[in-house]
Parts: sequence; C-alpha cells; structure tokens
Amino acid sequence: MNNHLLGVIDATTYHEGLDELTIHRSLAAVPFAGRYRLIDFILSNMVNSGIESVAIFPKYQYRSLMDHLGSGKNWDLNRKRDGLFFFPSPMLDSPNNGIGSFNHFAANIDYFYRSSQDYALIANCFTIFNMDFTPVLERHIRAGCDITTINKDGQPLEIYLVKKSLLINMILSRGETGYSCISDIVSDIHHPYTLCTYEYTGAAVMVDSVQTYFHASMDLLNPPIWKDLFLIEQPIFTKVKDEPPTRYLNGCSVQNSIVANGCQIEGKVENSIISRGVKIGKNTIIKNCIVMQKCEIQEGCVLDSVILDKDVKVEKGTHLSGTETSPFVVRKGTVQGALMNS
Amino acid sequence: MVKKKCVAMLLAGGKGSRLNSLTKDLAKPAVPFGGKYRIIDFTLSNCTNSGIDTVGVLTQYQPLILNSYIGIGSAWDLDRRNGGVTVLPPYSESSEVKWYTGTASAIYQNINYLQQYDPEYVLILSGDHIYKMNYDLMLDHHIDKDADATISVIEVPWHEASRFGIMNTNEQLDILEFEEKPSEPKNNLASMGIYIFKWSVLNQMLERDNQNPHSDHDFGKDIIPMMLNEKMKLVAYPFSGYWKDVGTVQSLWEANMDLLEEQCELNLFDYDWRIYSVNPNHPPQYISPNAEVKQSLINEGCTIEGDVSKSVLFQGVTIGSGSFISESVVMPNAIIGRNVLIERAIVPSNTNIPDGTIIRASEGEKDVILVSQEMLQGV
Repeated sequence: MNNHLLGVIDATTYHEGLDELTIHRSLAAVPFAGRYRLIDFILSNMVNSGIESVAIFPKYQYRSLMDHLGSGKNWDLNRKRDGLFFFPSPMLDSPNNGIGSFNHFAANIDYFYRSSQDYALIANCFTIFNMDFTPVLERHIRAGCDITTINKDGQPLEIYLVKKSLLINMILSRGETGYSCISDIVSDIHHPYTLCTYEYTGAAVMVDSVQTYFHASMDLLNPPIWKDLFLIEQPIFTKVKDEPPTRYLNGCSVQNSIVANGCQIEGKVENSIISRGVKIGKNTIIKNCIVMQKCEIQEGCVLDSVILDKDVKVEKGTHLSGTETSPFVVRKGTVQGALMNS
Repeated sequence: MVKKKCVAMLLAGGKGSRLNSLTKDLAKPAVPFGGKYRIIDFTLSNCTNSGIDTVGVLTQYQPLILNSYIGIGSAWDLDRRNGGVTVLPPYSESSEVKWYTGTASAIYQNINYLQQYDPEYVLILSGDHIYKMNYDLMLDHHIDKDADATISVIEVPWHEASRFGIMNTNEQLDILEFEEKPSEPKNNLASMGIYIFKWSVLNQMLERDNQNPHSDHDFGKDIIPMMLNEKMKLVAYPFSGYWKDVGTVQSLWEANMDLLEEQCELNLFDYDWRIYSVNPNHPPQYISPNAEVKQSLINEGCTIEGDVSKSVLFQGVTIGSGSFISESVVMPNAIIGRNVLIERAIVPSNTNIPDGTIIRASEGEKDVILVSQEMLQGV
C-alpha cells in the first residue's frame, strides 16, 4: 500500500512576513531547531510513511535548498528506482498561486505520467510536524474520497492527498476549469469533488512570519512538544555535518535550552535554541534567543529575544534586544558591534 | 585497476583484552571515544585528510559491528570508484582457513589485494590509537631518504620507555636497532606502529618471513629485525603531538578526560583536519531548566536533567533529575535514572542505571570504575 503514494513538495511559497530570513534562501531552507531546515519535516514524514519518490517544486533562491538536499542521501532517497526529483519553476515572474500550482506541475507533467504510484500527497514546505501519512491514504481509499485535506484543530495544513489520475486531469483541464492550484479547488464551495478532511492531533505549526517562527522555536523547549516532534521511530532527517560534540567550558551555565553539536560555550545561555558550530564567549548572556549555525558571540555580550541568522559575528560587549512579539533579527553574515546599536 | 602510489593497510583485528567487558562483543578499533567517535575514526580520517584514498582494513576479532560501521567507507569519503575502503577478513583456501596469526601474516595473506593496485609504497597502520597525523608528510620523508622502511616514532618519558618498542638511532635518525620493551632502554623514541615500506621490499620480506617456521609473523618482532640484519635502510620519522594508545580502561578514560582540558592538544574543532565518523541522526541535546553542565563534551540526542561536570557524554544519553555525573564517560544510549551519583567511571553503551544508584570508588582507590551489569545487580 505504501509505495502507492507519490510525494510532491511545493517549495515555491514566499511569505513577506519572513523576509528577514528568506532574503538569501528559499522558505524551505530556513533553519529550525538547531540543526534542521523547514523542509526536513515534511520530507522526513514522507520517507517515514514509506514514500519512495519525492518531487520538489522550488522557485525562489533554491541554491541553498539544493545544497541542503544534495542527492537525497540523508533521507535515503538516492535511489536507482524513484528517489528525489527537482523541478524548478520555469516561470519566475508569474505570481504565486498557493500550494500546488497546476502550471508548475504542467511543465513537468511527465513526472506524473512516468511514476508508478497511484496517489499523490501534495504538501507545503513550511509546516513543522511529525506525521505518518499511511492512515490518511488508507482512509482516503476506504471512504472513496477525491481529495483529502489534512487539518489541525479544524484549520487546513495545506496538505492534500489526491488520486494521481485525477491530479493529471486537474492539471490538463486547468484552462477550462479556471482552477490554478489544488488550494483553489478546495476553497471553492462549488467544486465537483468529494472532499474529505483528516484531523491531525499531534503538534503542528505552519511557519509564515517571524513571530510564528519565534514561537514555534520557543515551543521546542516544552518537553511534550519536543517529544511529539522528535520520535525515535519516526526520526526527522537532515543533512549531516561532521561536527564534534558540543564543548561546555569552565564557567558556562546553560539552562532550558536546545543545543546542537560543534558549539563551544563559555557564557550563560537560557531559554534558547543554539545551532551547530556556535561560539559563545565568556560573561556573555543569551536569553530567549535563536542562534543559527556558525555564529560567534564574543565576550561580555547581552542578547535577549534576538534571532541571529547564520554566520553572524557579535563583537565584544554588544547588547541587543527585541521583544517576545517582535524579536530582533540580525541578517546572515553581518557583524554587530558594541557601538552600532547604542 | 589504476596503479596507486601508496596504499594503506589498517590492522583492526585486535582484541584489546585489557579493555575488559568493553571489548567483549566489539573489536578494539570500534570502541567508542570522545563523545561521538570510535577509535578507528582517527586513523581513517587521517587517511582521508592525508590524501590516501585506498585503505584495506584487516579485521578478525568480533568484526560484526566494526564491519557494519565501516560499510563502504562513505563516512570518511572513502567510497571511491578506484580504491576506497575494503574490509579484508581472514578467508579459507582450498586446504585450510588462514587466520591472521600476526601483523605480518595479516598483510601477507592479502598480497593479492595489494598487487591489484601495484603501489610503490605501503603504509601500515593500526586502528588502536588516538592521534592526528599527516601521513603524506611521512611519505615525503620516506621518499626523500630513499628508505626501505620508515617507522614513525614519538618521544616518550624515559621512565616509561621500557613499556614501548624502542628505536635506537644515530643522529640522522637512521634506525640501528629495535628493542621491544627493553628493561634498560638506550633511547626514548617509541615506535607508533606506523610503517611505510617500499612495496617491492615488503613483498619480498613477507614471502621470506612466511617461509620461516620459527617466525611469529609480526612486524616488530620479525620483519623489522630481519631488515636490520640485512643492513637495509630503515629510518625513524619523528612525530610530535597528541598520541595515545587507549588499550586499557584507565588510558581510555584518561584520553577522554584529556579532551576536557582548556588547552586540549587533540583539537576536535580543527576544521582543516576533521575527524569524520558515522553520524547517527539524533535531535540536538536538551538541557532542562534544572540541569547544570560544566566542563563537558556532550553529543546530540542527549537529555540532561541533572548535573554533569568534567564528563564526556555520547549520543542518546539520558541523565535524570537530581543525578550527579562527574569525571565520567557515558557511552551511547545509556540511561541514567534519577538521584544517581557517578564519579570516575565509564558507563558502557545501552546501560540502564536505576534511580538512586551510587557508583564511586572507595576512599583512596585510584582506579576508574568500569560499570557492568553484574555490578548493578549487586547494588
């Protein structure tokens, strides 16, 4: 049954509210939880649900996404049969149409014709959750649905399951029907299909703004949510890095935090998410922050409610702060000096 | 096969019996070290970092975990079209099974493997040591000196010299004599068990050694003395830097503790000489609101709710609340309950330590404790 499902990830979404973090990268490649990228969640869920063929439809700034996914090896998708496929959008200036653009699919219709799977799961790239899709497919078939949408607390997660032959019809008839994507169909109350909903009960967040990103990150410090996301039997895979274990030096103090590998910590860290390869200097205090890969925070700094994008350097004695509702975001690769923000 | 300039042969069949229960089901090179590595990672990473892309790994004792760990070598970038890593277990011929009886016999029985690459030089390594070394520089030295064999040596404290194989050399570091564990050492240059040979010479030596019924077929005991007898050119290659044989429970513990020093000689954070390993996929470590972590090395997948100081924690370790772990090494996926006290101990992989357990040496006792299932049942 499992191998009847095809995975389709729409990675074309662009949220204005996440501008600060998506200038250099596609939304799908936004770092999360210290060592992951947003796309890791949906991609791992697909793989853990037995999906063996995954197509990614990216649009903006997908270099970082390609670099992250590579051949798909880390998700066990570097296969001779099926595996990982990339279909970048040929239409760069056309406006964005919501999840599952039929135009974008039409340009790559052969993928749908050639694959042997009978059903397709079309998903966005920015939902953080850990879900097995097998029961969704089982119910879809048993209940005779045309389209199943997955909901969380009654709200759609913008993930759709549809029979592949029906999907191909939808794509081919987009001119006559006027539907430009799956979400168009679902939101039209007069659509001709049997629509089913599947309620997902685990933790799930759609990241669409800096605020939701910040909250979703801080929620990781809540053990029940953490346990919901990181199940041993359904692991979230990501690109592996050969970082050494994290080094806690004399005089450091770390509490209520999530820390990835390769860090060297001498300062104080509280309620924060620290990514791979971060250096935190002596007498520095980091509270309620998200610190991405390879940042260096020198001695005597105070940071509260700040998001540091990758490769940021914070010089000695710098104070930076935001608020819970409006965290201060520091762009990738920049240098923050003590005098710059005073 | 494409001809190779230098092929490495890594001896990984050692039993490591002084590591007690740690090597009961595991070859010594596969013993966990440094929070995420296995001992063999250092040698394999040295090969890759030195540009050596053809490595034969000779396994014999308890090879299951070691073999599956090495796999096709992709963790060390040694999954190559030409060369790469090849695991070489003992095999049977029509008449008999040929166990590796000594280091030299292990190589002798894999002459076929070497011949396919027709190398100019063969590098002999062991998978028992923790160190970072550029073998390419040693090869340059070997070629410069036009030596038949080059042996890497390290200066050891004079009072410890009698524990090692000692090279007696002249001022140009030509080797004049080799003494295995001399009671009265004349020199303090210890052999690190790393040899480079001209393949043509080694090939001959192995053939002759194999004919000798009195030989133990060992590099140190047989091959090197035979070459010295025949006045071949053997030179020492001096190495300085961190090098440790982690052959005992005590030395394994010490080497782990060395990593916690402020100025650690073995820098794991050197991105120009990375130590690669098979990366298990674990989420980041979670440090709870009541935890305290000091001067420690902690890997992904750990959940820390207690106090950890001067310790090395491998992937997937859980420390319950109210527990105190100090000067200890906790190996992968060990679960330590609540209100546990552990001092100066090694906790093996997958050990489950019940709530309230106390493990520490009695007053005046210097030895490190190796935690075992029997010990826990006795508590």
